[in-house]
Amino acid sequence: MSRMRKITIDPITRLEGHGKIEIFLNAAGDVDRAYLQIPELRGFEKFCEGRPAEEMPRITTMICGVCPTAHHMASTKTLDDLWKVEPTSTAKKIRRLMYNAFQAEDHLLHFFYLAGPDFFVGPTAATAERNILGVIGKVGLEVGGKVIEARKRLRNVVRIIGGKPVMPSCGLPGGVSKAITEEERKTLIEAGEYAVDFCQFALKAFDDVVLKNKDYVDLITGDVYKHRTYYMGLVDENNKVNFYDGMIRVVDPDGKEFAKFRPQEYLDHIREHVEPWSYMKFCYLKNVGWKGFTDGEDSGIYRVAPLARLNASDGMATPLAQEAYEKLFETLGGKPVHNTLAFHWARLVEALYASERVLELARDPELTSSDIVNLPTETPKEGVGVVEAPRGTLFHHYQTDETGILTGVNLIVATTNNMAPIVMSVEKAAKSLIHKGEVSDGLLNMIEMAFRAYDPCMACGTHALPGQMPLEIVICDSESNEIKRLSRF
Amino acid sequence: MKTLILGIGNAILGDDGIGVHVAQELAKRINDEKIDVMDADTSGLGLLENIAGYDKVIIIDAIETGSGDIGGIYKLRLEDLVNTVDQTSWPHGMNFATAIEFGRRFAANQMPKEMVIFAIGVGQVTEFTEEMTAKATETVPEVINLVLEEIGWAHRALLR
Repeated sequence: MSRMRKITIDPITRLEGHGKIEIFLNAAGDVDRAYLQIPELRGFEKFCEGRPAEEMPRITTMICGVCPTAHHMASTKTLDDLWKVEPTSTAKKIRRLMYNAFQAEDHLLHFFYLAGPDFFVGPTAATAERNILGVIGKVGLEVGGKVIEARKRLRNVVRIIGGKPVMPSCGLPGGVSKAITEEERKTLIEAGEYAVDFCQFALKAFDDVVLKNKDYVDLITGDVYKHRTYYMGLVDENNKVNFYDGMIRVVDPDGKEFAKFRPQEYLDHIREHVEPWSYMKFCYLKNVGWKGFTDGEDSGIYRVAPLARLNASDGMATPLAQEAYEKLFETLGGKPVHNTLAFHWARLVEALYASERVLELARDPELTSSDIVNLPTETPKEGVGVVEAPRGTLFHHYQTDETGILTGVNLIVATTNNMAPIVMSVEKAAKSLIHKGEVSDGLLNMIEMAFRAYDPCMACGTHALPGQMPLEIVICDSESNEIKRLSRF
Repeated sequence: MKTLILGIGNAILGDDGIGVHVAQELAKRINDEKIDVMDADTSGLGLLENIAGYDKVIIIDAIETGSGDIGGIYKLRLEDLVNTVDQTSWPHGMNFATAIEFGRRFAANQMPKEMVIFAIGVGQVTEFTEEMTAKATETVPEVINLVLEEIGWAHRALLR
């Protein structure tokens, strides 16, 4: 160890999330190992136990200011299962509509924020330009306005249905709390139309700027950002991608179906591995086993989120998204695609699908029916609810006493599924890019790109100022003396 | 002139909720059609939607300082945060100053002319609980008075 040199990128995240990538160099200046560390928010299960289960759709939205709608929906579905009550047909449509609007909004925003700076401005561009303001500078001022407008309209959909724009409160076991009026339905239709148009524009921009640039295509398809893993996602009865409901399907690194199971059976398929150096748990497929941070058929590591969902499905259930799906796989050499940077492209395909779904559901006259809830009559005991959050499969699992007071809570949040692949991706990028101790700011960004492609979200919950700390890179010599310090500003 | 008092934080994450607690207390005391009081678990772009259209915005938020000064109150202007304007590799955490800069470019006419930030040093923000630490809790009345002073209500509040 004494011969190792250490580079610290700290934090990759905002202050309160305080994530850290540590890269250890050996004496030759090549990468020995890379670690990703994320602090843990503690005590959520204890906080919930003893409370009525019906409070969970409201409480779980407070875990995370980023994907409250995903937690709200997973939680509401868990209540359905807890009381064994099937929501009415209209309630399901209302829930799906809200959920797809949220998914589209989240994906669009993060495409322009995450992928945007790297692809539109350039992966090794000066740090000061590699931001959303730089993206707008490249693609035009009006795009900034469109991003805001699309987001505003889609959030308005969540507000109309959910009651509040950020943290919905409409979910009840067996349905939703509020019906949709005809006037509201018109607004929902308009939002769907705008979103479908905007997603097509975004895919076109991706085509023009990224796919027509050989350097970017080489970057996406190169070995630096590639892992052969299993993939997981919710699918409907035709094995098409579904964000709200269905069976969980897993495909192997060759794209063959490996498992397909009901959400309630998740513990038969997923296990969590613990490492001494991390608070985080690393999910893997129980029936393959944990073989360390390695990919291939023999390693139980699987991936979730946009590209994984596309790989784990047989297509998209809407026409425009299906076209975009086919183009992605044709361009990148067929299914499954193992290139991590293709997550960004898959995110856009999914945004288009979600927008088409919003429009289709908004146009359904049944949406304004007043038959919005089936009242529960069973005694609660145990329930599981699963949705596809923007960042991957989200599991909620509650146990209660016979009066519905929580006695046990288990959540597997989306990013947890992807933790092992994220660690692998960061390490592989670091090993591929850092040689003989030469580390530039641009190279470090390219290592961070491996991390960003997953759109990971671990800094749940807090918003303390200033919202972000300087990104510092500390390079130490073999005696742990600091020899260089880089800062983003 | 329209003023917004906005408390930011997560009310179930210990001291992180201090802005929310202060705003909820102020909402009970302030009754003025020109002053809105709001609390929000939001950051980044979400913040813009809340502050758009106001002339003056007073924000109460938690801050983690290098010295770990729990209960310390810092009155900041936007200019104090200007050196944190940056790209972020973490869009979920788009920082405060960057969000405002974004707003100024795309919705300049809706951005408040004046912003005051009361940042309160906090301790425990990683364990889920509705309870704040004693030091943070003790600070709440003082922050309330400072906000009332800021809107010229200190005198009226004392009369109650």
